Amino acid sequence: MSEEVTFWYGCNVLRHGDIIHSCLDILRALGYEPSPVGGVDYCCGTVKDANQSAAGGMATRTVGKLNARGTPVVVWCPSCHSHMHEFMQQGAERRFDMSYLVELLHAKRAQLAPLLLHEVPLRVFLHQHVGFNDLVPVNRMVPELLALIPGVKVLEPTYTAPGYMCASFAALPKALEDIHNNTVRAAKAAGADAVVTIFHQCYRELVGLDAAGAISVYNYIQLIARSMGLPYEDEYKAWKRAGDGATELIGAERIAKVGVQFYERAILPELKKRPKLQNSDPGS
Amino acid sequence: MSTRAPIGQRLKEYEQQEAERILGACTRCGKCYEVCPMAQYSKAPRGDSKAVVGGVLAVLRGEAGTPEALGWIGVCTRSGVCVPACPENVNPKMMMRLARMTALGGRDRPAQLTPKEDPDYFDRVRAFAKLQLTDDELKEWT
Repeated sequence: MSEEVTFWYGCNVLRHGDIIHSCLDILRALGYEPSPVGGVDYCCGTVKDANQSAAGGMATRTVGKLNARGTPVVVWCPSCHSHMHEFMQQGAERRFDMSYLVELLHAKRAQLAPLLLHEVPLRVFLHQHVGFNDLVPVNRMVPELLALIPGVKVLEPTYTAPGYMCASFAALPKALEDIHNNTVRAAKAAGADAVVTIFHQCYRELVGLDAAGAISVYNYIQLIARSMGLPYEDEYKAWKRAGDGATELIGAERIAKVGVQFYERAILPELKKRPKLQNSDPGS
Repeated sequence: MSTRAPIGQRLKEYEQQEAERILGACTRCGKCYEVCPMAQYSKAPRGDSKAVVGGVLAVLRGEAGTPEALGWIGVCTRSGVCVPACPENVNPKMMMRLARMTALGGRDRPAQLTPKEDPDYFDRVRAFAKLQLTDDELKEWT
């Protein structure tokens, strides 16, 4: 009998429907019955540093909703996971077991390995940060998961970015530019075909490198999904690569759901944004 | 008649306890600032490490922070390399997060840093959900 779990995916990973759907299929293949929850109504409140009344209210609401589900919770988002540990469960009593998805997959890697049937011929460079790794040792576990995939060669990581994920650098453009450039430089010097991110917040930022033609970029779950033969298309990457052409790819019907004005003001500029790159030739 | 606690009260009380613990434990040795990989990105000039940490503690007490301290608080992205560097188990990552909340005006003190909140943040999340999920998934998953 499969074990019921709540898959708390977070907010911003909603840009990447393929990641959410793949995680659910992977959990099912490992014997779980996942119920996904996320989005604004399950926000952890970590973005509300400037308003702790709001953050506390969000913590109480979200912990209460997760308590009411009565199942263990598997977390995708590193911000939600660390905010739960550091703040939310101090503001509201947590009554459920919680694990981070990487931890769960790593613990189940003996069951995961035989599901990885398709070869993924890639030399990959892991994009890692110094933060969060103290809570969950993702910088060790994710390469060990990637190494299970036939054809994947995980290269020695020679660059570790500051912070705990890239999206928190949105207000620090010089630091983000350094992260982009150092990542490309180190990946190319190592002979990588692709950069692989652990977190969706890094993927969202670094996929701009792919769109700019600097280097291919994937999230680790996308490579596991590919090896399992899961069918989900990475639409966000297609939209990023297309830039202005994203409008045609998304289509009028879906754009109408979010509103044309909002799409043009708040979505399209993100899809057109490209990283500022210096010369990334490792020989230069 | 029962009175309901204000929204977020329990979290705020925890944060206040943590702030007091940190204020009591920190010896201003400055090791956290010295190892921080983000200090180089501060717009304020690099300061003496002990003085910068003293400025952070002032913010935690609800006092005015120095430009060097506010500059450092503004660039903290939770690297956490300060935590093992601290000889007093202060947890400087928590110190910086609480100082950030305080400096942004989030802990019922006057703001000393301007919040850079994205006004479209939550609407953008909702919009991408509509672009990526089916109507049934939207109803059941969000």
